[in-house]
Amino acid sequence: MPAGRMTAWERVQLARHPARPYSLDYILHLAPDFEELRGDRMTGDDPALVAGVGTWRGRTTMFFGQQKGRALADRVARSFGMMHPQGYRKAVRLAHQAAKFKFPIVSLIDTPGAYPGTTAEEDGIASAIGIAIREWFHIRVPVIAAIVGEGGSGGALGMAVADRVLMMENSIYSVAAPEAAAAIVWRDQAHKAEAAEQLHLTAPDLEELEIIDEVIEEPPGGAHTDFQASARRLDDAIHRHLQAVADHDRPRILENRRRRFLHVGHLHDHRALPRAVPSR
Amino acid sequence: MPGGEAGGPAVGIGAPAAGRPSVAPAGSPLPPIELPTNCAGCGIDLDPDALRLQTYVCECGHHFPLHGEAWIALLADQGSWREYWADLRPVDFLHWNVPKSYSATLAEAAQEGLNEAVRTGTCEIAGHPVWLAAFDFRFVGGTLSVVAGERLVRAMERARHERIPFVLVTASGGARMQEGVLALMQMAKVNVAVAELDEAGVPYFSILSHPTYGGTAASLALLADINIAEHEAAIGFTGPRVIKQATYAEIPAGFQSAEFQLAHGQVDVVLQRPDLRARLAHYLELYT
Repeated sequence: MPAGRMTAWERVQLARHPARPYSLDYILHLAPDFEELRGDRMTGDDPALVAGVGTWRGRTTMFFGQQKGRALADRVARSFGMMHPQGYRKAVRLAHQAAKFKFPIVSLIDTPGAYPGTTAEEDGIASAIGIAIREWFHIRVPVIAAIVGEGGSGGALGMAVADRVLMMENSIYSVAAPEAAAAIVWRDQAHKAEAAEQLHLTAPDLEELEIIDEVIEEPPGGAHTDFQASARRLDDAIHRHLQAVADHDRPRILENRRRRFLHVGHLHDHRALPRAVPSR
Repeated sequence: MPGGEAGGPAVGIGAPAAGRPSVAPAGSPLPPIELPTNCAGCGIDLDPDALRLQTYVCECGHHFPLHGEAWIALLADQGSWREYWADLRPVDFLHWNVPKSYSATLAEAAQEGLNEAVRTGTCEIAGHPVWLAAFDFRFVGGTLSVVAGERLVRAMERARHERIPFVLVTASGGARMQEGVLALMQMAKVNVAVAELDEAGVPYFSILSHPTYGGTAASLALLADINIAEHEAAIGFTGPRVIKQATYAEIPAGFQSAEFQLAHGQVDVVLQRPDLRARLAHYLELYT
């Protein structure tokens, strides 16, 4: 089907397609010598986030990937890609490590959202995500995030505070899953397709809203129809953006990353509005 | 009984501070709030005028949630509040039109005299100048939006430049659906300002009131130097209804309560409303 004519809901279905390449598929393609590193050094490890180092284009790179898992046991073990607090804490630990050794960071996003369960709440999922988001603004090495499947809510954003944010053509990125948005706004999940349309969650939508930097084209029919081609395009796009960040942004990398997120939503120009005078 | 730390001695582990400043429980008389006819805690007929004088805390201890203006009246010294950026108004970026248009939602809120989900300004608390931001749950569930994010960032930036503390009061369902991913991005945007407050060494105090969930809880609300949970506040990332739907888990009693968050290391203290202002005044004294 020609991509241009797909509805938002059709994109959602492609983004969730069971045969769709997952983060670990891409990571092993980028860095066949990938070594997984585990644990948050506090209470545990979160298999919903794969993290580790590997050689990519001749240099050691830190990779993160939210991982859904394919066989049922693997899917369950990985909580279907829904991260617990331990995952965000592991990411913070290893992002600081990457900065220590000047490894660039590649973060692949594919999650329905953070884990919506009692254990995650008991372990402080809200502050874990908040701290992760804040910490990305202190990591002084290039960070490229790419949404390869589902970019669900704060659970995705916690791993997507980057210098460049890319999206595979049939991935989605949203404030909430369409089902959740329908439950909130319509009080009925049945309206998920309408919600998907309203949320502007497709890659072309987000490019237009200037939230992302590039839409990475997928083979006709979706990334799963030709994994090699999809992986090559992802590899190429991440490399181009990483080069651009390394060449142009390095000295002001934190300032530029911060500015990128400060400027979301077209209300950033303080000069356009009366600047209040200090009260003292 | 209002006053005293919630939960009795088990909560107040550690020596009680002698020499906390003696400060009135409210900076100025509280405005009216919407009240049920009977108390949800003890069932008695409510007397709105009497309740207002006791900061909307029933004799039985039940706390009625406050709106933004009531929070400002509660915390700010009388006559010291100066609001900023009230002229920033939300925009229907996504042309959200079903089942109800976002513009209609915004117009209705404006009709009711509500001005966005976060109000920002300067005030003094027991004589200490602060930048204050208060969420208002009446405005689309106190949802984090582009305007809310912008006001929060400006208030934190001004606090940083002027080197005076930033005080936040939350009451929020999370990020606003009708602003889509633009609302989601506010979680990152506000944390830029939090990171810079940290670097500048400017104190940040967060009061988490009922309810604080989703993108608000998972961005700035729990990242303060001191996190204060109001007694009876429900605080979490995912709400109990969604957790039950998603995992079929039984939700234990007291789950996501202020005391639950204290027990799980997420907040420094749980306070009853009549004690908030005096405690905040003491923190301000200690940190400035």
